[in-house]
Amino acid sequence: MNTLSKFLIGCASAVALGAPAVQAEDKELTINIVASMSGAFANFGLQAEKGARLAIEEAGEAAGMTLNMVVIDTESNAGKGARKVQADLSEHGPGIYVGTTLSSTALAVGQAVHDAGGVYINGGGADELTGEKCNASMYRWSAPTYGAVNASLRPVLEAHPDIKRVYTITPQYVFGEAMLSNAKTVLEEQGIEHVGNSYHSLKDKEFSGFIAQAQAANPDLLILLNFGSQAAASMQQAVNFGLKDRMKILMVWSSGLDTMQSLGSDVSDGVYFGAQYWHEEEAAGNQSLVALTQAKLGEAPNYPLASYYQMTKIMIDAVNATGGADPDALKAHLAGYSYDGITGTETVAADNNQVEKNFYLLLGKDAASKADENDFADVVSKGKFFLSAADAGCVK
Amino acid sequence: MIYFLMGVGLTIIFGMMNFVNFAHGVFYALGAFICYQVIQVTGSYWIGLILTPILIGAVAYILEKILITKLYRVDHAVQILITIGLMLIIREGILIIWGTVPKPVATPSILQGVIFLGDFVYPKYRLFIIAISAGIGLGVWYLLERTRFGITIRAGSENPKMVSLLGVDTDRLFALTFVFGVALAGIAGALLAPIRGADAFSGDEALGIAFVVVVIGGMGSFSGALLGGLIVGLVQSFTAILWPEGTKVMIYSVMALIILLRPNGLFGKA
Amino acid sequence: MLTKTPLFVHFLAAFAIAAVLPMLLPSYVLATEILLFGLAVIGCNLLLGYTGLLSFGQALFFGSGSYFAGLMSIHLNLGIVPTLLITMALGALIAILVGVFAIRRAGIYFIMLTLAFAQLGYYIAFLAEPITGGEDGLLDIQRPALSIPFVAKFEFDSDFSFYALTGAIFIVVFVLMQRLVKSPLGTVLTAIKQNEARAEAIGYNVKLYKIVVFAFSGSVTALAGALYAFMLKFAPLSNIDLETSSQILFMTILGGLGSIYGSVLGSAVFLVASDFFAELWPRWMILLGLLLIFVMLYMPGGVSKSLEDLFAKISAAKDQRGKKP
Repeated sequence: MNTLSKFLIGCASAVALGAPAVQAEDKELTINIVASMSGAFANFGLQAEKGARLAIEEAGEAAGMTLNMVVIDTESNAGKGARKVQADLSEHGPGIYVGTTLSSTALAVGQAVHDAGGVYINGGGADELTGEKCNASMYRWSAPTYGAVNASLRPVLEAHPDIKRVYTITPQYVFGEAMLSNAKTVLEEQGIEHVGNSYHSLKDKEFSGFIAQAQAANPDLLILLNFGSQAAASMQQAVNFGLKDRMKILMVWSSGLDTMQSLGSDVSDGVYFGAQYWHEEEAAGNQSLVALTQAKLGEAPNYPLASYYQMTKIMIDAVNATGGADPDALKAHLAGYSYDGITGTETVAADNNQVEKNFYLLLGKDAASKADENDFADVVSKGKFFLSAADAGCVK
Repeated sequence: MIYFLMGVGLTIIFGMMNFVNFAHGVFYALGAFICYQVIQVTGSYWIGLILTPILIGAVAYILEKILITKLYRVDHAVQILITIGLMLIIREGILIIWGTVPKPVATPSILQGVIFLGDFVYPKYRLFIIAISAGIGLGVWYLLERTRFGITIRAGSENPKMVSLLGVDTDRLFALTFVFGVALAGIAGALLAPIRGADAFSGDEALGIAFVVVVIGGMGSFSGALLGGLIVGLVQSFTAILWPEGTKVMIYSVMALIILLRPNGLFGKA
Repeated sequence: MLTKTPLFVHFLAAFAIAAVLPMLLPSYVLATEILLFGLAVIGCNLLLGYTGLLSFGQALFFGSGSYFAGLMSIHLNLGIVPTLLITMALGALIAILVGVFAIRRAGIYFIMLTLAFAQLGYYIAFLAEPITGGEDGLLDIQRPALSIPFVAKFEFDSDFSFYALTGAIFIVVFVLMQRLVKSPLGTVLTAIKQNEARAEAIGYNVKLYKIVVFAFSGSVTALAGALYAFMLKFAPLSNIDLETSSQILFMTILGGLGSIYGSVLGSAVFLVASDFFAELWPRWMILLGLLLIFVMLYMPGGVSKSLEDLFAKISAAKDQRGKKP
């Protein structure tokens, strides 16, 4: 067995001699894109990566440094993501990290980047990101559950004063609990009866049991508080069960265009969707992104693409503004920073690093009235609802 | 009922060939995608439903010839690990061909909507699935119990050496059995596509359920798969009402309990 | 050739592995991960490689190890040695519980039982969100310090110091495991693997031995899980899921069944390759699938066995040349 150890030692000396540490050229700045390129959320990561690439190619350089993009694949797994970011940090020192939509990954990566003194922006949904688990190095672009629920549920209730009874379907984990408690608060305040809730696990794909329960409770409005493929699947099954004709349906945390493309107009017609981003937004920041995406990729930007584009752009702009990539300077610059973003004017809250931006309420339309193949819905309203750092429980 | 359909293919392959197929679930996912593709080309769900088992059977036939046929004599553990490798390859292959966004499959128009049974409302398409699965179940039963092919398969599962001594071409029989079992998984995928869409990662869950069904019923037993499917369905429906979060816990607990009480499942042979 | 190797040679070899790894790799983090997964693979190899028991439940031990250790560091603050020892004891306890039930069945039913227990563990961790953090994982884990009263206190905050800790633990476990598999117990396990009925007939209490090996496997794997949680300062739910079980299995097979050295090699090859390919191509798992089939079909001894054969051939060739003139 000594052969093996000899072999290993041989390898080691060969590598130690043959590889004097090759340093990157000094005029290069790496932006690390953290995304789920493989695994269960690969569909998100692949789109997201395109968005980050668009932003980096568009800028080309920042503060005189050539931009270099490194993709860190989380494999849709918080542990893997955290480990790879840790390895990257210990190899290259504190740097700029962008991305991931999964709250568990964002929390773990945020902790690692903060410990090492880097700067990190993500698109996770859990309230803790800019609440109890916030830290000075972690920024969050997307609206948290509080904002999503308020910006989508309130306008639906206003548009339909006849809604008296509401049923909810919730994934049982932190994100779902936060969505549910926010929804309950709004319902209570409006004096509307919450007639029941079904919890499901993150692995469920079969929702007929939950939908049968919802149906039995005979509500006026069904709220889906889940996300991603589960939201799509439960919506599809609810429509199969014929619930669309008997009540209004609201999916609070859709991923916008993606969700509607996978459901098709037959299902999305007449259904309300909450969304972080909608490609028909008229703000200048969005119009330029739409033109860029059309020119480079020949498609309309969806949420993963747009959010990664915006998050990457925030970092590039900050590097330009501070004339360098020093994390502390970047953080100082970002406090209270306001800019024209893809959802209109967006502002980085100084006290908890939350980007305050619009959240959309969309109403799906039928196939006949679509202006183009991606015109699945009309914007009913958009709004900004954010908790103060104190209310969110953030102590940096 | 669909649980039965997933389990029965697995159990036939195990019973006849003594082969544990961990790639069974991914064939279910592949079935959904093939169905989606046929619908894209022909515009008809019905053609999709008919072509899916044929196409997936062809895939299974090729795989049997180049890979599976080498595995009949090896340990179960080795079979499991190799078919996990196969599962990874097919799953990633699906992602390369069809992309990573799950594809929707529309319910055929005559089966849209719901049927009122008194106070209870049930979607037409789900009733259709129940009917079709029952039909396929009957067909499989007829095939196994009443035809020459079935008799040979059953004899083979009792005593493969004897069958081959009797002059039956066991290679061909094994290939047919494998193709048949996999085609059943493919049909299950195509049938469920309008409800759950075509999703490359749905295979893992399908595999888990298929194994639970088969283990509960007894590996290699046709009536076991039927009963296992029923039990899993009932456990799932009851816990969905009483304790929705705990469905999976209950299903696996029931499986563990049954293995411990009845070593070879309810209808298993030693 | 192997049986006569004295223990201190294994010690030197383990020391060499731990010393050399960081030189070959870009970061201490990856080196730490290789060693601790090496421990988990050793745990799996005890069952599969030495006793012939295919367990789909290794993640149950790995994951509960990381939860136990993480919770102890958050709530009890005991110092590193007691934390790890208690974790190992709890890991062994869980493994004994699983073992007592699972070994009552053989073959595919045994495998399905280990799978069922692992899935139960997963859903319990998932549902016990107030304790385990559920889907978000257990955050805010601190690495406990090593304090020797009146002498010194070591913290493991830097990547290097934590690697040193993992390396030291690795060397100890590595040597102990070499000792274990060469002991009379190891011989009995091999006898069980080769022919269970015969081992039983000779008069060995096969069931008891199987439970004992489960206990060893559980405690070593829980130790690995604990180190992983301390490395990440975070215990993700995925530590206890089916994928972790299958990854530990892949590494075991890749490295070679029934070889403690192979275990480390399997972990190293798997982690380095998956890192490397994941950067190149998001669909890298297709290669993993192909590799898995290839190894199972053509390299039943895993990478370590193939390397040994290769060296044997090379040295044989050298001998040939040496004799010619």
